[in-house]
Amino acid sequence: MFEIVDLHVAVNGAEIIKGLSLSVPAGETHAIMGPNGAGKSTLAYALAGRDGYDVKGGAATLGGEDILALAPEERAAKGLFLSFQYPVEIPGLPALTFLRAALNAQRTARGEAEVSAPDFLRFVRAKAAALKIDPEMLKRPLNVGFSGGEKKRFEALQMAVLEPRFAILDETDSGLDIDALRIVADNVNALRSPERGLLVITHYQRLLDYIKPDRVHVMVAGRIVASGGPELALQLEREGYDKYLKAAA
Amino acid sequence: MSAVAQLPNRRDEAWKYSDLRAALADDQVVLSEGRDVIERLAPGVQRMVIPAGETRLFVERMDSPYRDARSFEFTIEPGATLTRVIVQDSTAFPLSMARVHVAAGARFTQFVLAEGAKLARIETHVGVEGEGAQVELNGVYLCDAGRHADLTSVITHKTGGGVTRQLTKGVARKGGRGVFQGKIVVEHGAQKTDARQYHHGLLLEDGAEIFAKPELMIYADDVQCAHGNTAGGLDESALFYMRSRGVPEAEARALLVEAFLVEAIPDGLPAELHAELLSRIQSWLRRRPS
Repeated sequence: MFEIVDLHVAVNGAEIIKGLSLSVPAGETHAIMGPNGAGKSTLAYALAGRDGYDVKGGAATLGGEDILALAPEERAAKGLFLSFQYPVEIPGLPALTFLRAALNAQRTARGEAEVSAPDFLRFVRAKAAALKIDPEMLKRPLNVGFSGGEKKRFEALQMAVLEPRFAILDETDSGLDIDALRIVADNVNALRSPERGLLVITHYQRLLDYIKPDRVHVMVAGRIVASGGPELALQLEREGYDKYLKAAA
Repeated sequence: MSAVAQLPNRRDEAWKYSDLRAALADDQVVLSEGRDVIERLAPGVQRMVIPAGETRLFVERMDSPYRDARSFEFTIEPGATLTRVIVQDSTAFPLSMARVHVAAGARFTQFVLAEGAKLARIETHVGVEGEGAQVELNGVYLCDAGRHADLTSVITHKTGGGVTRQLTKGVARKGGRGVFQGKIVVEHGAQKTDARQYHHGLLLEDGAEIFAKPELMIYADDVQCAHGNTAGGLDESALFYMRSRGVPEAEARALLVEAFLVEAIPDGLPAELHAELLSRIQSWLRRRPS
């Protein structure tokens, strides 16, 4: 269970998240939809622990453990994963080296033994095959020269390798054409499991045609203003956010 | 006027970031007339000729604890290849000056790994003296507190069709100083020259210093030349990306800086030498978390 209670977050002194509460039980996929400026990406960064996203109040717990006091790498080791809207390119750092450093750092933090290079290679190849990802991609520098679709697929592969308990997917659909969207959504669906919660952040209903959520939450002006089943996404697609924006103003 | 006073200080344009007079003030230095200052300080010139069509690798280790001035002259005959690698980790006053003549179709590759010293200067003057000569002049400096590394070069294209690729990268911590001075001259007749010069420095901490003086002087009209120079801090979004995947901050910084630096190591070095250079960079980055 991932739970957020009355979260307040400020960026540069301006409060962006204004008392947000949400819980995602293990095994469920929830979606947060909202217009530009609602604070969706701020929520994602604050939960992952980015500098400059100041938590002013409230709590966020994963499996009952508070994560907000932890460094980003400690949150990751506890099983939190953020799939970035714009994955960062790092020239000179092979994707494979990066992924092995990440897995071994998490294992070390949890008191588990590091994975040897040959074992790691086998493990990653199997995960890549399951997601139909070309393992040649792993030899390239991290995200450098990757297409939009490849970047998001590599995010999914990282998730498959790091096996988080809870993953936040920030605007996974941005920068993808329809075919890439379908492939990435297939990758994400393959990673759904009874132990893992997912929070999918998007402005468009389109992504939710492919990643079907159990619950949909509408976020406006830093709060959740409505929650419902998958039908809520369809209603938003028809009616837009106007009703909620007016109520929030 | 004493001999020491004849050493260049910061008023001398070619030494504006490396005050040799102040650095050697306590040493007894007697200069004879003529030639470049490092050549005058060196006991003699070491000369090496790479015969036409042959390939040589020349690895220099500057690890003397004393003042160490060296002067070289390399002549690379037509179609020959010289790869010169300098590993500088001495602490006193390592000073190196090389003049390199690159003939038609010859190739000169240089890589300097400088950890700096009280004052370290590695100066390279390359003459592109035959059609189609190729030069790759790269370097990495790693300047910890109290260390000064100065990589200075002048590459002069005297004939046409030559290619220069220059990539220098470096990092400095608080109290460390990195200097890059790179001049590329394309003389009047050196048409179809293709020259690229890049220097990128990373200031790892407040109080680190990086000075750069890139220069392109082009007297020919049918050439391709480009240069770029940056100095800044580590990319915070890359750092957060790595930490969000579980890599602790100090290790994430080391991996990012390593990725930044290794781009300057030329391709094609012998594997064991490449591994040594990489391991020196890795251990420097992890010696004290920045």
